[in-house]
Amino acid sequence: MQKCKTSEARVIDYVYGELDQSQSSAFEQHLATCSKCTRKVYSYSHVLHLVDDAESEFLPVALAPRNLEAKLYKRLADAPPEKNSILSRLSNYFSNLLLVLHEQKVASICIFSIAAIAVAFFVGNPFRPTTLDINRINSADARIEQYRHNDIQRNLEDVLRKKHLRHSDSWDTVSQLNRVKDQAQGTDWANIAKNQLKRVHSEF
Amino acid sequence: MIDDEMLVAQFKSGSQKAFDELMKRYERRIFGYLLRSVRNYEDAEELTLEVFFKAYRALGTWEPKAKFSTWLYTIASNLSIDFHRAKSRQPVYMLEDEDVIEKRLIATDISSNPEKNLEDKERGRIIREAVDELSAKQKSVFMLARYEGMQIKEVAETLGMAEGTVKIHLHRAIKKLQTLLRPLWENNEI
Repeated sequence: MQKCKTSEARVIDYVYGELDQSQSSAFEQHLATCSKCTRKVYSYSHVLHLVDDAESEFLPVALAPRNLEAKLYKRLADAPPEKNSILSRLSNYFSNLLLVLHEQKVASICIFSIAAIAVAFFVGNPFRPTTLDINRINSADARIEQYRHNDIQRNLEDVLRKKHLRHSDSWDTVSQLNRVKDQAQGTDWANIAKNQLKRVHSEF
Repeated sequence: MIDDEMLVAQFKSGSQKAFDELMKRYERRIFGYLLRSVRNYEDAEELTLEVFFKAYRALGTWEPKAKFSTWLYTIASNLSIDFHRAKSRQPVYMLEDEDVIEKRLIATDISSNPEKNLEDKERGRIIREAVDELSAKQKSVFMLARYEGMQIKEVAETLGMAEGTVKIHLHRAIKKLQTLLRPLWENNEI
């Protein structure tokens, strides 16, 4: 005798009426030759009948709860107002705000202005041009220029300090002043260097 | 007869009577389902009230993705599961563990007192106790499919499960009932 390979689930589906017409017919043909499945079908069907009997005995007719309508409306009247979710409350708030803005143009301008001032105060002006990089570049250039001026000034002071010590060698002073004058081109230091050169030449 | 969806639309437009009509249509079915689930008239009544209370408050924003009745049963099933969960958390002073109770249920009541247990009333009680031994989900699936006339697909929608999962719960429920009740008819008691 061939071993039956029908699944338990198939048997339950049949008992439960979950098989379609063709599947059901095919299974019934199988039942005619398989005692094992027939026993299972009987067993499950019997269980369901037993439960059906017990349940219909428990609730023979469809009962209605007493005064449900009156109880419901009393409960609704007594219940605290429903709390909306945060999302729906925010949504309501903004939709109300938009409605007010739409209806009252003066109020809307005031609200917008106050909001803009508040943003500018607490966050900073969002429309301000982004000058940070330019400032940084400018400050770097200024610092370089400052170093150049300091260097010119230091060289010029060095020339003037040493000029008194080099009375015998004025050519050295002249060449140094000429280097400073070249270095200081485009600045006030260049004029100072030129004047000093004139003075040295006049002293010869 | 006006269909449920039309009544829902009327309720959303402000008709109180539309909700009363919906309540009349479903109060018996929902009450019956909950009574079978909790086995106590007062609790079932309270839960039925809760179902319609929740439905009333949520119906205004309810989007009909399924039938109204399916939605109502979903609320009822969730409340029923919560009820059983809360009940199971309450301290129970048990002198016997569950295995002992199950054995008593399927053997002692029948075999040791056959005369008494042949009474219809007692037999019905034993069978219903066996049904109550099912897990909350198994019982919900079984009750909806067996006594509320729902197809597997509708049960799946009501309980928010896949159809395959519903079938698994249903199969397990029937197999468990068979295991619990088999001794009754094997002893020719029923």
